[in-house]
Amino acid sequence: MKSRPVAEKKRVLYRLGEVLESYTMLAPAYVIFLVFIFVPVVWAFYLSFFDYSILSMRTPEFSGIDNFRRVFSDPVFWTALKNTVRYSLGTVPTRLVLGLLLALALDQANLWGRKIFRTIYFLPVVTSMVAAAIVWSLVFSASNNGLANQFLSLFDVAPKGWLSDSNLAMFSVCVLSVWKDLGYVMTIFTAGLQGIPLELYEAGAIDGATVWQRIRFITIPLLRPTTFFILVTEIISSFQVFTQTYVMTSGGPGYSTTTLINLLHNKGFVQFDMGYASALAVALFISLLFLSWVLRKVFKADEIVY
Amino acid sequence: MTPKLKKKRTCREIVLAGLKYILLVAGAIVMVAPVLWMLSTSLTPDSVIISYQLIPSKITFENYVRAWDFPRVFSDSVTLGTFFFNSVLVSALITGPALIIDSLAGYVLARRDIPGKNLLFYLALATMMIPFYVIAVPLFLVVRKLRWLDTFQGMIVPFLSSGFGVFMFKQFFQSVPKELEDAALVDGCSPWRIYWSIMLPLAKPVVGTMTIFKAMWSWNQFFWPLLIINNIKLKTLPLALTMFRGLNVTEWGTLCAGMTIATIPIVVVYLLMQDSFQKGIVMGAVKG
Repeated sequence: MKSRPVAEKKRVLYRLGEVLESYTMLAPAYVIFLVFIFVPVVWAFYLSFFDYSILSMRTPEFSGIDNFRRVFSDPVFWTALKNTVRYSLGTVPTRLVLGLLLALALDQANLWGRKIFRTIYFLPVVTSMVAAAIVWSLVFSASNNGLANQFLSLFDVAPKGWLSDSNLAMFSVCVLSVWKDLGYVMTIFTAGLQGIPLELYEAGAIDGATVWQRIRFITIPLLRPTTFFILVTEIISSFQVFTQTYVMTSGGPGYSTTTLINLLHNKGFVQFDMGYASALAVALFISLLFLSWVLRKVFKADEIVY
Repeated sequence: MTPKLKKKRTCREIVLAGLKYILLVAGAIVMVAPVLWMLSTSLTPDSVIISYQLIPSKITFENYVRAWDFPRVFSDSVTLGTFFFNSVLVSALITGPALIIDSLAGYVLARRDIPGKNLLFYLALATMMIPFYVIAVPLFLVVRKLRWLDTFQGMIVPFLSSGFGVFMFKQFFQSVPKELEDAALVDGCSPWRIYWSIMLPLAKPVVGTMTIFKAMWSWNQFFWPLLIINNIKLKTLPLALTMFRGLNVTEWGTLCAGMTIATIPIVVVYLLMQDSFQKGIVMGAVKG
């Protein structure tokens, strides 16, 4: 009879120890989340309502929506927004279409050299964006020696200032970006294609569907979740483009390739106007959350776990 | 699409197949052209003006020597080797510890019955929805408060855990049959012991893909080091490469040699472990 409460106590103690040990095992991950993600997120929202620069010794001063007003009345912001949208329109559809075509073309198991093609198309994905952007800025060199101008000279076209002409600079940036990440999109589509049951194609073939009909009525509809996923992630990441424009053009000539994140970098870390940069970041964050919500509604792809 | 369904090929099909092949090859040429051009330029002496030749008429390795030593222009004590070392160090010190930290948390969230578990899991998921630029400014201020600007720890510690890693490990550990743990539980093994000697060894496939994913990500990371690193001796490879932009316009050979040196290791690793890379990418995509 006496042993029972003792055993009970022992069990409670054991359980307590086990819970404590579990929390200790969680601690490293959550301490890092707290200090380096959750505190900064709250701080970002907070900063966007304050006038603050680490250059001045002043304490942050509450300024209401002044930072947002400054962002939205800044002509450079609107230029950067326009450039970012241009970048997005120049890269996302291209990657999506080419990536899908590639994945379809390479989906044939008996295609000779299939593995070599996949290796080649995926190769740029693993290289560093900085190295790629530097090499491509030579490719797009305004001199006669650049690969792009050498190619043009084959057709007797005069050399172009790919990166120094403000009408061409964003195009050149888009070419690099499509080249760099096409393999990524292809790989995701390939994984999506492998998820489509073979029987459906067999059924299609029995019904006498042509290759095109099979793609149109079986592949494309069944790839919808994959397409939705790629579309959303590509749009969101295209709004965060930075390295390409920073390395290749430094946002120039003029402001012709200055993107939103170039602007954020410039305001926050060159001019140290942290209030402006935070307001810009918060506005962009909220807009993108809203955008992906809209896309989800449009695609009605709620079954996808995100 | 399906080899089994092959019928007799009509003339039209053969033409279409040929066309497809030509397009695939043309595309592949566009993909590798800049890379081959970089290689050939890196082997051409700067004195020879390069035009229209893929294979240089005169081959030199001088450009590689010069590219390796180029950073000395900025500081006597650095070469490209310095930046390689820094990149390896930072990538290794992020990847290794992050795998342990993420898998520990993933195990507890998958298997331990503790209060607040669901909330903690949602918090881990929430971290994946926050783009880096949103927290860049305040994170800079946090790291500045810690006096970690211009240090290795500043580049490493904020990335020692990721919601994605926690999520992947949790998913994996949930799929492990409970019986494997039961025997250990009866013996009164502590959670730590079960994690370390039973669960972690089982997670080898996830560890493999996560290693590639994390290592590649940290190796190519650019934005954050750009914000916090000024000291040339601490720069990682991508940061250091931007210094090459300062080269004279005529020194394309040196520039291309520098980019080749920086790119070759990752390409070799990729060619050796292609399947794991692509698997890692697909897995990384699933999280969204």
